[in-house]
Amino acid sequence: MTLEDDLASAAATGNTAGVEDLLRKGADVNGVNKYGRTPLQVMMMGSTAVARLLLTRGSRPNVADRSTGTTPLHDAAREGFLDTVKILLEFSANPVAVDNSNCQPVDLARERGYGDVVAFLESL
Amino acid sequence: MAQGASFPYEQVAEIGGGAYGTVYKARDVESGKFVALKSVRVQTDQDGLPISTVREVALLKRLEQFDHPNVVRLMDVCAIQRTDQETKVTLVFEHVDQDLKTYLEKAPVPGLPPDRIKDLMRQLLCGLGFLHSNRVMHRDLKPENILVTSQGQVKLADFGLARIYSCHMALTPVVVTLWYRPPEVLLRSSYATPVDIWSTGCIFAEMFRRKPLFCGESEADQLGKIFEVIGLPSEEEWPKDVTISRKHFPPLFPRPITDFVPEMDEQGAELMLEMLTFDPLKRISALNALEHEYLKEEETPDTERESVAVP
Ligand SMILES: Nc1ncnc2c1ncn2[C@@H]1O[C@H](COP(=O)(O)OP(=O)(O)OP(=O)(O)O)[C@@H](O)[C@H]1O
Ligand SMILES: [Mg+2]
Repeated sequence: MTLEDDLASAAATGNTAGVEDLLRKGADVNGVNKYGRTPLQVMMMGSTAVARLLLTRGSRPNVADRSTGTTPLHDAAREGFLDTVKILLEFSANPVAVDNSNCQPVDLARERGYGDVVAFLESL
Repeated sequence: MAQGASFPYEQVAEIGGGAYGTVYKARDVESGKFVALKSVRVQTDQDGLPISTVREVALLKRLEQFDHPNVVRLMDVCAIQRTDQETKVTLVFEHVDQDLKTYLEKAPVPGLPPDRIKDLMRQLLCGLGFLHSNRVMHRDLKPENILVTSQGQVKLADFGLARIYSCHMALTPVVVTLWYRPPEVLLRSSYATPVDIWSTGCIFAEMFRRKPLFCGESEADQLGKIFEVIGLPSEEEWPKDVTISRKHFPPLFPRPITDFVPEMDEQGAELMLEMLTFDPLKRISALNALEHEYLKEEETPDTERESVAVP
C-alpha cells in the first residue's frame, strides 16, 4: 500500500482526519492509487469536508474516469449531492464536461430526478 | 450465480478490510454508477460451493425480492473459480455515497433537528425490523454501516454476511469498534437479534450528542462505561454462562439518560432506555419500537411531510 492508496481509501470512506494526516505525511493530492484514480475521483461524494479539503490542497477537479469519462461533478450530480456540486464548481470543475455516453452532469441529475441539482446547474 | 466472463465492474478504491477480505468501491462501467463489491473466498470440493454458502446467498437474494427501501440493493452475485479448492464469491451492492457518520458531522450546529432524528430512527428501525423478521441479524451496526442518500433515505449495509464469512475463513484478528456492542456480546454470552437494538440505542444517542455514547477501550472498559449510565445489573440479571464476574464492577446506580443525552424529549428518553436494556430478552424489538409513542406517525397532511427532506 502506498500513501496514495491510503489517501484514496481515506477519501472514499469520508475520513477527513485520515486525509489530513496522509497529506501531512506527503501523500500527493493528485497522485493515483493502484487502480489509477485520484482521491477526488473516489471520495465519498456526500462528504463536503473531504471534498473541500482535497480541493483546497490543489486537487484537480476535472480528472475523468479512464473507462467511462465520468468526472467527480458527474458523480456528485448523479448522486444528488448539491452541496458537493457547489464546492466542485467553486474550484472550477467544468459544468459542461461530457462523459463517454455524451452526458453532462446536469443530464445525470435529471435522469435521477434531483430537481435541486438540475435547477442549480441550469442557473449557471 | 454469474460466472466470471463478463464482469463489468472496475475497482476504484478499497473501502473496508474486514476479517474475511476486502470491500471495494467500484464502478459499473455500463451504467457509470458506483457499486460496492464484497468478496469472500470459499473452499470448494468436487460438489462445488459449500451448501451453507449457497443457502446464505439464497437468503440474501430472497430478501432482495422485497425491495426494502431501507436496505442496500444486492445487484449481482458472481462466483469465480480460482483453483480446484477455492472459489471467490463476489457480492455486488448498490453503493451509497454517504454514511451516517458523515451525515451527522456535516449537520450544522447545534446538530440535526429533532424531527430529522425521529425520521432517521424510523427508517433505521424499519430496515432492522425487516431483517429481523427474516431472521437476519446485522451484528455490526454502527454509523459507518448505516448509509444515508442525498435525499435523506436510510439504507443499511453490511448485513447478513456474518454467517457466510464466519463459516469459511480462518478469521484473522481485526480491530473492531466496541462502542456499539451490547453487554451480552461483550460478556460473550449467547446473542441474537436484540444485539442490533442495543447498537441502535447507542446510535440514537449519538444523533443527539454528535459523539458516541460509550467509548470503551477494552471489553471490560466498555462494560464499565455502560454501567456508569444504566447502572450495574442485579445478580439475577447477570448471565450465568459467562467468565467475567459481576464483582469486577463497582456497584453503580442508573443515572438519568438525559444527563448524557440532553435536548431529548421524554418519549425519546423512554424509548432509548428500552433499547439500552441490559437483558436482551427485555430489550424492545424493532417492530415494537416502531409502535412506541415517540415514533408513532403524527397525522400530518401530506404537504407538511418531510420524511425524505434533507436538513
Ligand atoms: N453498499 C455500500 N455503499 C457504500 N459504502 C459501503 C457499502 N457497503 C459498505 N460500505 C462502506 O464500506 C465500509 C466497509 O464495509 P464493511 O463494513 O462491509 O467492511 P468491513 O471490512 O466489515 O468493515 P467493518 O468491520 O469496519 O464493518 C463500511 O463501513 C461502509 O462505510
Ligand atoms: Mg463490517
